[in-house]
Amino acid sequence: MISIMRSVRRMKAVFFARNLEYLRDRASFGWNLVFPVLIVFALAVVFSGPPRALFIVTAVTSDSLPDLLDFPGIETISSDRSKALDRLSRQQTDLVVEVVEDSVLYWVNGNSASGAILELLLEYTESRPLERGETDGEAIRYVDWVVPGILGMNMMYSALWGVGYVVVRYRQSGYLRRLKATPLTKFEFLSAQVLSRLLVTLTASAIVFVGTNLILDYKMVGSLGLLFLIALVGGLAMITLGLAIACRTESKEFADGLLNAITFPMLLLSDVWFSLDGSPHWVQIIAQVLPLTHVLEAARAVMLDDAGMADITIHLAILVGFCTVGMALSIKLFKW
Amino acid sequence: MSEVILSVTGLEKSYDEVIAVAGLDFEIAKGECFGLLGPNGAGKSTTLAMLEGMEDPTQGTVQYYGGPRPPDYQTRVGIQFQATALQDFLTPFDNLKLFSSFYDDPIPMDQLIDQFRLQEFLHRDSRHLSGGQRQRLLLALALVHNPEIVFLDEPTTGLDPRSRRDLWDVVSALKADGRTLILTTHYMEEAEILCDELVILSHGKTLLQGSPKQLIADAGVSDLDTLFLSLTGETLVKTQEVID
Repeated sequence: MISIMRSVRRMKAVFFARNLEYLRDRASFGWNLVFPVLIVFALAVVFSGPPRALFIVTAVTSDSLPDLLDFPGIETISSDRSKALDRLSRQQTDLVVEVVEDSVLYWVNGNSASGAILELLLEYTESRPLERGETDGEAIRYVDWVVPGILGMNMMYSALWGVGYVVVRYRQSGYLRRLKATPLTKFEFLSAQVLSRLLVTLTASAIVFVGTNLILDYKMVGSLGLLFLIALVGGLAMITLGLAIACRTESKEFADGLLNAITFPMLLLSDVWFSLDGSPHWVQIIAQVLPLTHVLEAARAVMLDDAGMADITIHLAILVGFCTVGMALSIKLFKW
Repeated sequence: MSEVILSVTGLEKSYDEVIAVAGLDFEIAKGECFGLLGPNGAGKSTTLAMLEGMEDPTQGTVQYYGGPRPPDYQTRVGIQFQATALQDFLTPFDNLKLFSSFYDDPIPMDQLIDQFRLQEFLHRDSRHLSGGQRQRLLLALALVHNPEIVFLDEPTTGLDPRSRRDLWDVVSALKADGRTLILTTHYMEEAEILCDELVILSHGKTLLQGSPKQLIADAGVSDLDTLFLSLTGETLVKTQEVID
């Protein structure tokens, strides 16, 4: 009995000490409270709105759209003609509509049953002259869509945690202070971290890419060289972001919170698991400031649509911008 | 006295409201072993960090051969920190190779391995070294570039008596090489054996300075331990009165 009481007393002491430690580490305590609340609100906002529609129509113009688009079962999204037709050929939209003067131009995918139904409904409800266009293309399989997302997500975690968390651990353990006492410069140290993690990230991504393709045979119609370039620049952008987070942070728990705060929005808003085409406009604007969005848009364009260098230049340029800002901030603010 | 390698004038360091070092003045001669002694919180490590160039003083100066410290000062000093983690999974061999690569003309690795008797655990994960083995490795890393001044921050803290004596032998050999050694310790016996000159600190201020023999003789006590205990006990109260 006495030994049980002793045991309970010791457990109680450790329990209270641990709680005290946790409560006094304000940064991690704050993150543990604030972060889940932010996630709940973010999900609520992003996925607010009416239930999912039966059909998706992409409107190229916004004025005098056919009455059919007001039907409750139809969700209308806006896009330019080129993107809309790309989506139609992948059957990510069922109908594309454009109003020019007094006539209605529409495109359907000849392989899509939903498109055929919408075409009938449009002919039945629309009084203006109709001009038909057709694309073909098989519906994109989910695996084709999601593989670039998973590769990108893997790269994001490897890059951000592999550098950000490790540098903070080095700092907390005094290893960085030991390095400071050598002629090693900040730039040399940071560059070595970047290159080392880049090698790991690219190797891991290449193995996963080849291995999963052998099993799943997902779609890859574009240039492997371009895909490598996207992985290289995207990896660098993520790694330098991780470095920027770690350049002054002293607590591993706080670094953990910050890294979660960076990765979670990308996981949610960068089209990793599903397309956000139907989401509010402001959500899509936020997505455009996240590096993973550009990695995935460029990778999908190459893998699914055989995009060339000119098609993905804007994404690469934005990623290079992330690298430059991230590295400059890291070198400027880095504390051993 | 031989040539002065480091001279400290009006050295102060404070962190927000806390004064860690409150105005120190002393000189360190080339080739001597200089000790900073004091109880925990006396300001030894902070003073050492300022001498190493790892921390900037709030006030005062540290001069090297009578002038400002040169930009390559870091390559002229070797530092063994009180608590240093090394990269996980790296062996002493990997660490020696890594740290050697930071310098243009490092001491050959074989020489360091012999000098610090690293052979028996050269390829063991550094996380699995004993306290004494670890300290020998850290000292080897501090010496890898053949520095002129070696800083040792409580090098034997936490070591068993045998490992401590082993390390004293290593430090004595460094001293015999003609290097300038600056160490902090709270082991009086260690200071008495190794140091040529001492500064005893309390609350960031100098209580006494001199050679161990001279300090013992002046105080009329049998050893440094007795002197230190009587001195710090009495002076701590006085310093507290000043703070109050």
